Amino acid sequence: MNEQPLHSLEALRARQPRFRGLESGHRACQGCGEALAARLTTEAAGPDVMIANATGCLEVFTTPWPQSAWRLPWIHSVFGNVAALAAGMEAAQKQQGRSTKVLAFAGDGGTFDIGFQALSGMMERGHDVLFVCYDNEAYMNTGVQRSGSTPHAAMTTTSPPGKARMGKRHMKKDILSIIAAHHIPYAATASVAYPSDLRKKVRRAMATEGPSFLQIHSPCPLGWGHDGARTIEVARLAVQTGLFPVIEMERGELIGTLPIRTAKPVSEYLKLQNRFRHLFGADHRARDELEHLQALANRNIDRYDLRGVGPEKYDTEGADTVHRGGDRWA
Amino acid sequence: MIEIPPGAYARPGTSLEFKTGSWRVERPVHQHRAAPCHAVCPAGEDAQAYLALVELGDLRGAWETIVAANPLPAITGRVCHHPCESACNRRHYDEEITIHGVERFLGDEAIRKDWRYPVAAPASDAPRMAVVGAGPAGLAAAYHLLRGGCHVTLIEALAVAGGTMRTAIPHYRLPPDVLDQELDRLLALPGIAFQPQTRLGRDVSLGELQSDFEGLFLGPGQRKGREWGADFAVPGDLQTGLQLLETWVAEGTIPHEARSVAIAGGGNTAVDLARVLRRQGVAQVHLITHQRIPAPDVPADDAMRATYRDVSQAVEEGVIIHEHRGVRRLILRGERVVGLELVHMKKLPGADGRLRRVAFDGTETVLHVDQVIPAIGQQVDPLGFEALVERGRLKVAPWWGSLQGHPGIFSGGDARGDHGTVSEAVGDGRRAALAMLRQHQGQTLEPSSAPEGIGYDELNVHYFDPAPAAREPVLPPEQRLGNEEIEGGLDARAVRHEAHRCLACGNCLACDNCWTLCPDQSVLKTRAIADDGSHYVFDYDYCKGCGICATECPTGYIRMVPD
Amino acid sequence: MALALEGSLALARTIALCRPQVVAAYPITPQTHIVEGIAKLVADGQLNCEMVSVESEHSAASVALGAAVAGSRAYTASASQGILLMAEVLFDIAGLRVPLVMTCANRALSGPLNIWNDQQDSMAVRDAGWIQLYCATNQEAIDTTVQAFRIAERCELPVMVCVDGFTLTHTLEPLELPSADEVDGFLPAYVFRHGLNPSDPRSLGTLVAPEHFSEVRHAHHQALLRSMTEIEQADADWAAVVGRHCGGLLEVRGDPDARLGILTLGSVLGTLEDAMDMNPDLPRARFIKLRSFRPFPTEALREACAGLDVLIVLERAISPGGGGIVGPEVQMALANLENPPRVHNFAAGLGGRDLSLDLYERLVTTVTQAASSQPFSIIDVDTTLLPEADR
Repeated sequence: MNEQPLHSLEALRARQPRFRGLESGHRACQGCGEALAARLTTEAAGPDVMIANATGCLEVFTTPWPQSAWRLPWIHSVFGNVAALAAGMEAAQKQQGRSTKVLAFAGDGGTFDIGFQALSGMMERGHDVLFVCYDNEAYMNTGVQRSGSTPHAAMTTTSPPGKARMGKRHMKKDILSIIAAHHIPYAATASVAYPSDLRKKVRRAMATEGPSFLQIHSPCPLGWGHDGARTIEVARLAVQTGLFPVIEMERGELIGTLPIRTAKPVSEYLKLQNRFRHLFGADHRARDELEHLQALANRNIDRYDLRGVGPEKYDTEGADTVHRGGDRWA
Repeated sequence: MIEIPPGAYARPGTSLEFKTGSWRVERPVHQHRAAPCHAVCPAGEDAQAYLALVELGDLRGAWETIVAANPLPAITGRVCHHPCESACNRRHYDEEITIHGVERFLGDEAIRKDWRYPVAAPASDAPRMAVVGAGPAGLAAAYHLLRGGCHVTLIEALAVAGGTMRTAIPHYRLPPDVLDQELDRLLALPGIAFQPQTRLGRDVSLGELQSDFEGLFLGPGQRKGREWGADFAVPGDLQTGLQLLETWVAEGTIPHEARSVAIAGGGNTAVDLARVLRRQGVAQVHLITHQRIPAPDVPADDAMRATYRDVSQAVEEGVIIHEHRGVRRLILRGERVVGLELVHMKKLPGADGRLRRVAFDGTETVLHVDQVIPAIGQQVDPLGFEALVERGRLKVAPWWGSLQGHPGIFSGGDARGDHGTVSEAVGDGRRAALAMLRQHQGQTLEPSSAPEGIGYDELNVHYFDPAPAAREPVLPPEQRLGNEEIEGGLDARAVRHEAHRCLACGNCLACDNCWTLCPDQSVLKTRAIADDGSHYVFDYDYCKGCGICATECPTGYIRMVPD
Repeated sequence: MALALEGSLALARTIALCRPQVVAAYPITPQTHIVEGIAKLVADGQLNCEMVSVESEHSAASVALGAAVAGSRAYTASASQGILLMAEVLFDIAGLRVPLVMTCANRALSGPLNIWNDQQDSMAVRDAGWIQLYCATNQEAIDTTVQAFRIAERCELPVMVCVDGFTLTHTLEPLELPSADEVDGFLPAYVFRHGLNPSDPRSLGTLVAPEHFSEVRHAHHQALLRSMTEIEQADADWAAVVGRHCGGLLEVRGDPDARLGILTLGSVLGTLEDAMDMNPDLPRARFIKLRSFRPFPTEALREACAGLDVLIVLERAISPGGGGIVGPEVQMALANLENPPRVHNFAAGLGGRDLSLDLYERLVTTVTQAASSQPFSIIDVDTTLLPEADR
């Protein structure tokens, strides 16, 4: 091996062959899935963007004044208005004849719940905005309270299991159907466990004229109750069980999926997370809920036709195959 | 000097002032681990390393990686029992890599393309070393001494080099032209003086070698077949299995009249001889062994010492193997053998824990055969160095091969008595040469052993896609009539396919997983090779020690250590 | 040349002259005619801007904010419930020091429902950090709107132009619209120094810790106080262009020597002035037309009140359980005068109740009969309509 003197760390940072839209030094927890998702999104989107970011973990851990981890023009306003904020930024770009793409970043709260109305209005009006939902399935920044995106039976501080309850009663809101009903040119789901697929979808959305929507499944070690080192593993299992379908839609029609080569039983995914610990006890209701979640996964698999017909290069086991030299990365 | 601008906006990238590295309680480090193929290779080859080079398209570099340890890949790629493949982690995933096929291909390619060993001529005042025996152990010792910059005088009793490879391996396993080409290249290296037909004890004495040279390696092999002792009466013209096999290899035929033969023994000599006799047309060939046919569920000390491949091919060719049997006595009619009495026999631990043969009375049977051949082991022919030989072997320190009681003399290969394959001999020669070099330089020999291979559970195999192994073509038994090689080689495409399947255990694959999956931009890519052998540098200023990189590293190259 | 125009439509045409690039609109009575007017101008090609018909007022303010930080002059209008719904965004806009102009078509707040004019809505967000300018006439609304863009963009503070709903917005009267040249000469192209720009990226809306938050608030407060200079300057400069002024921070009218003062915000002044003119035998009053409520012009007010014995603060809003809103602030401002006038604080015309000409007499009579300051009251309330217990 030829050993050459290394450059200094500063020089190395500056020479990384990818755009560092989200810098180091942010205050995200160790192993934060959302930080990774935002990093992947911004590096695929490139420097000619401006970002509107809803209230939540992402904006809090990236901008403790006077520091900011963003290397992009960025604004945080309030919790529920990010899609409208982005719409205004886009309207301005259009009037000025500029091509800078507007991105809206929100957590699941800022997408499914408080930000829902503005998102719907933005899509209905056809603004050229890429709306990215970092879905960690609860209000994490405020201490792990349930949102419309929290999966059925999950434990949160406002849906704790106990004698009378087995975690969240309601289902995870079917956001994809709602997005589909807006017939926007491009919508997709992605996961931090499949970063190539994620970046490819960001680039697709960047090139889309009109509203686009990307929901990125982003595990939260603190809120979901797993070791930060297992973030990718947990995210991968969510996809492989069918609980988080990875799909693409155009104008509301399903046009692509990441097929599941071998569906894993939901228990393999659930047992890694403290928030589902109560489903593995002796309580007979635990078994009911496990079966319920399995049924939900099965329904997803049927509904989005996720079953592969044999090993494929871009299925849940092929899509992240490594090659020597890293040439797999799109 | 802080100044708060209107609305308290912040400037880009200023988070770099906050070194989140202070948060962590453990940090990732790169740690090269030996791949299991490397750990178990008797010759000390790093198969993972040369498979990587094959995958990158550098065939020559791959060959040079092999010959940095083993100068005879075209040979070992054919005859080695490839423990690397048994240890290959991929076998827990789908199928092990056909490593020996890649090694053979590279060895053959080197012959085709006439690649030279990257060894320079020694300086005129370089030390002069002596090597006795041009078998695999001696050849390897000579080669590594040359690599170490010495002059080497290699003496060999026979007219040609090769040792057991030349005399006792049938051509259907090792074609003679491959042997010639591989050895010619080695013997043509500058600095080596090859003296065939020079026998220690007859043409030169041990004392002369010790005084004329600065180091001595003895690789005399075990040229004498063991005979049955006073256990039972034997015919006067009994020849050992080794003698008969060597005759076959040299002349292509063995004089015989028997219609049925029993060979006692379970090693390569016994099995090779059994197959040779079948080719001669002997209708019944029996092999009597107190061990069992090797199989995954058979413990190593109960398995025949011959390789699994050769035993299974022997069975395909119609050799009848009697497992867990011993010879009680021969049944003679005058001087003629008409049969032998077999008894159930196993090797069991005695009071001191060591294994010894135990025969079970009451299980005797008679096997009617026309000829019996003992192939029950070999021993050193001690002519010229009798004082060094103890109970038919040269007792050496297991790792560096220094002769016990005789510092300055080293040995290896079959002569050690504890192993009998080409690749083990090559490893012995290599380590002994290193020891001789160090000793000459006045350095002490540190105790050492083979590295421990990284386990399958330390990898993250999710990132590899299943793919079946490429296997070389094998002649069906009915076509194995003469001396044509039974096993073919892999073609270039298959070799690339196998190299691609390598999991790169314990080595950086430069797959970019760590670089892609760090939420904190704390893995930096570098075009230079970092000090620790990887292609990445951890940015410890910001690394929070989350451990994602270690978990998602496919090859187990990243470890988390307390910080 | 004067044109007969409905107040809303005049405002729409004024906005168009100011060349906003983005207009966000959500309809609510009585602002609707403003945004409808703008939409028609856009449709007829007379205004080149992105008209974003949002799905709520919260989004209207957000769209305007987004456009402003992204480098475009932006505008929105609302009233009543809409102002409350966008309240958190209004605070955000001002706290981030973003220049914006909006029209508040002053209307009462629910519940119960009432769609007519009072100033409860703009008063409810007085602490949002916006400049609030109250217009006494439609002409002032036109001229103030033009000035507002300059004030906002120079001071980096958003400006809310308050125009009484229905009373002004839906009144048809002769109005002078400035010419395009006059407006273009007065308003330079929009420049926002700390906006979103990929070649000079910034992060707006950061998390500010206790160590620095007070300073941010202090700076904002100071900026509002400093803006008083610009408010006056803009009025003077615009007056030089069109020959009309709006009174700067406040204007003293009526009888400057009177020792009775009446302080008002918005269109009620016209009624009181007419009433005083029509009743020469009633005591004279010095009218103080408060134009700038935020920033609160303490110095100017103290000067304007010099020599008053009595000051009536007549407001169009109420702080239930407290009393008036403008009244206590006026009282605070005058507290350290050597001889501060006795302040009487009344609310009138809540929920659009008609303010008739006899209001003047009522006010004047009430205070001259009183020996000391009256407690706050809604002067035109008819308690006979209420059960005994609620009077």
